[in-house]
Amino acid sequence: MLILAIDTSCDDTSVAIAQDDALLANIVSSQVELHKKWGGVVPSIAKRAHEEMIDDVVKEALTRARIKLEQIDVFAVTIGPGLAIALEVGVRTIKELAKTYYKPVIAVDHMEGHLMANLARNSLRNFYSPLALLSPLSHYFPLLGLLISGGHTELILINKIGDYQKIGQTLDDAIGEAYDKVAKMLNLGYPGGPIIEELAKLGNRFAHNLPIPMEKVAGLDFSYSGLKTSVLYLLKKIAPTGQLTKQQIIDIAASFEKSAVEHLAQRTERAIKKYQPKALLIGGGVASNQFTRTNLRRLAKKHQIHFIWPQNKRLCADNAGMIAIAAFYKAKRKEFVKDIDSLDRQPILSL
Amino acid sequence: MISLTDDQDFFTFKLNLYLIKSDTMEILDLKKLKNPDVLDRALEVLKAGGLVVYPTETMYGLGADVTNQDAIDKLLQYKARREGKPLSASVASLEMAKKYANINQLALNLFKNFLPGPITVVCYGLHKVVSGVESEQGTLGLRLPDYPLVTKIIQFFGKPITATSANAANQKRPYKITDIFEPLSKKQKKLIDLVLDAGELPHREPSTIVDTTMDDYQILRQGEIGQDQLQSPAIQTQSDQDTINYGQKLINKYLSDLKENCLIFALVGDLGTGKTQLTKGIARGLKIKELIVSPTFNLVREYDYQLDNQKGRLYHIDTWRMFDPDELEQIGLPKMIKPGNVIIIEWADKVENNKFQIPNVKLVEIKLEHISQNERQISLSSLPSLSS
Repeated sequence: MLILAIDTSCDDTSVAIAQDDALLANIVSSQVELHKKWGGVVPSIAKRAHEEMIDDVVKEALTRARIKLEQIDVFAVTIGPGLAIALEVGVRTIKELAKTYYKPVIAVDHMEGHLMANLARNSLRNFYSPLALLSPLSHYFPLLGLLISGGHTELILINKIGDYQKIGQTLDDAIGEAYDKVAKMLNLGYPGGPIIEELAKLGNRFAHNLPIPMEKVAGLDFSYSGLKTSVLYLLKKIAPTGQLTKQQIIDIAASFEKSAVEHLAQRTERAIKKYQPKALLIGGGVASNQFTRTNLRRLAKKHQIHFIWPQNKRLCADNAGMIAIAAFYKAKRKEFVKDIDSLDRQPILSL
Repeated sequence: MISLTDDQDFFTFKLNLYLIKSDTMEILDLKKLKNPDVLDRALEVLKAGGLVVYPTETMYGLGADVTNQDAIDKLLQYKARREGKPLSASVASLEMAKKYANINQLALNLFKNFLPGPITVVCYGLHKVVSGVESEQGTLGLRLPDYPLVTKIIQFFGKPITATSANAANQKRPYKITDIFEPLSKKQKKLIDLVLDAGELPHREPSTIVDTTMDDYQILRQGEIGQDQLQSPAIQTQSDQDTINYGQKLINKYLSDLKENCLIFALVGDLGTGKTQLTKGIARGLKIKELIVSPTFNLVREYDYQLDNQKGRLYHIDTWRMFDPDELEQIGLPKMIKPGNVIIIEWADKVENNKFQIPNVKLVEIKLEHISQNERQISLSSLPSLSS
């Protein structure tokens, strides 16, 4: 089964081609120099101009996969959650393609995509992730999914593929957003998440005693806005003039990251104790963060469960490859869109 | 019950009764008479329950003792056809106002910054006036006229007098005494006891009536002073929960605007000042069940709402990650602006104000500031909506 998938949930325009669950191409607009129109450099204003990108990205994906549109069996698209006006572009494009080639459409939840990134194979049909550890997968349910990105922080119980239960989520800011905002406070620019990670490695994680969010609060929800405010007040205290030394910056980055990830681990541990999953799967852009993975892996080990991550940066961040994989499993379950004309984006879709 | 201490008072009392009952109203020319004489005479008439026409910085008013039912009944008989409209009361000072009404922070702000002056401050009354003065809801309009002789009379009188305009119902604005009397019947004229004639007054607008019983100023009648001149005092919240509660109260106040307008809340405040918390409160007021989370990554999050007699959509926009305010258009702002919709924009200081100066948009600017780790200061100014 050849699948063409589109994801335009927020910033990036992404198109992927998959042969069943093996990715032949996974193109993300910001990472590719295909913007002839802009002379190779994308002005910031155009970054979210999916409308102008989509055709080029579709072409690029087909070229890389050496596949022609006529060969595609299934068209898949993210319908939410995301930015309405961005999602619309993907939905409209997929509808046109499906109608032109008389092929079925599969509507995918972006968050299911992030979970399914762990099930992706490369063109040699090997899993990117250590999923081979869970063989056969059916013996390992329920799995615990932890989705961590700039826009989401969610705990999902996977009873089986296609059967999900959201058991926890952020009540305010997402973890990736907290990284970006702290980076901004430290004058590290945007997006500053990856910079914080690098600087934190050099700093003393015990330099500042920042609170771990919701430490004494029951439940599985997350909160990062309070930690953000704590960093702000720490800065006001130690650097009232706004002038920070390099040592101060790396120590704050390290202390912040320690609290942020400790919160993640504490809530995840609660979920592990409550639901007794056989493996912990993570996904989303923050899954690329090594310190986060080290801590979560340690947690999984403590509870003697497997730890799985997409093991590929592009599959962690927003991409259409994961949408193609989710679509493959949905196609196996025959979950096709019944009425293509009435398919619409759902900006606040939730698993 | 009348108790008198000596003959002198008794004589004055008799004289007053005689004068009040006489058909001829008494007109005192303020340009010719000395203030103490006018003061004494006005006090006599007011004490006896009479009606006094007096000048103010706007137009002529009609004064009667707000604690004397007979006097108020007489005044209502004169004004006629008021259909339950309340009367306002002129006071001499903030201290006097506090004895008759609950002066909250908003009202205090007006007293401090604008009074004496052409503003009627609507507060919750303390029910110390007779029937017909406060509104059916128990509110009381307070004036502090910018006319020293008048405030002196009220001060010596020791209690407020009515601040209604001196014209009878549906007659023209009274800027000179003849304006008042020309259209009157003989019977109506007889009801007036004393006129303090200051000649023709400058033709100024009637006072701006400002309701202070809500969280923000509501202009009930626009006079010379407009909404943009009123500065709401800041409100302080002690916790996230407090900020959420404030958001809920805030939207309740503007619900009636949604029938014909799109409501835009432009939030200006640094990181961690509670912009998303405030939005949670607004969403709660709109009875939205979905969890409101930060829209930073998504740029905009949208939620449908449905109230008993109003439905629409809440858009929660964050410009923090935007490179250029023009991106607001790219994410679909023009399509969002529709009557019934509520648009909350975080980091609105990035956007030029005139972007929202469009018909059928009610713009409320909200400033959020840090006081301490948990406390926030919230101040707002609402700009009048342009009609289409």
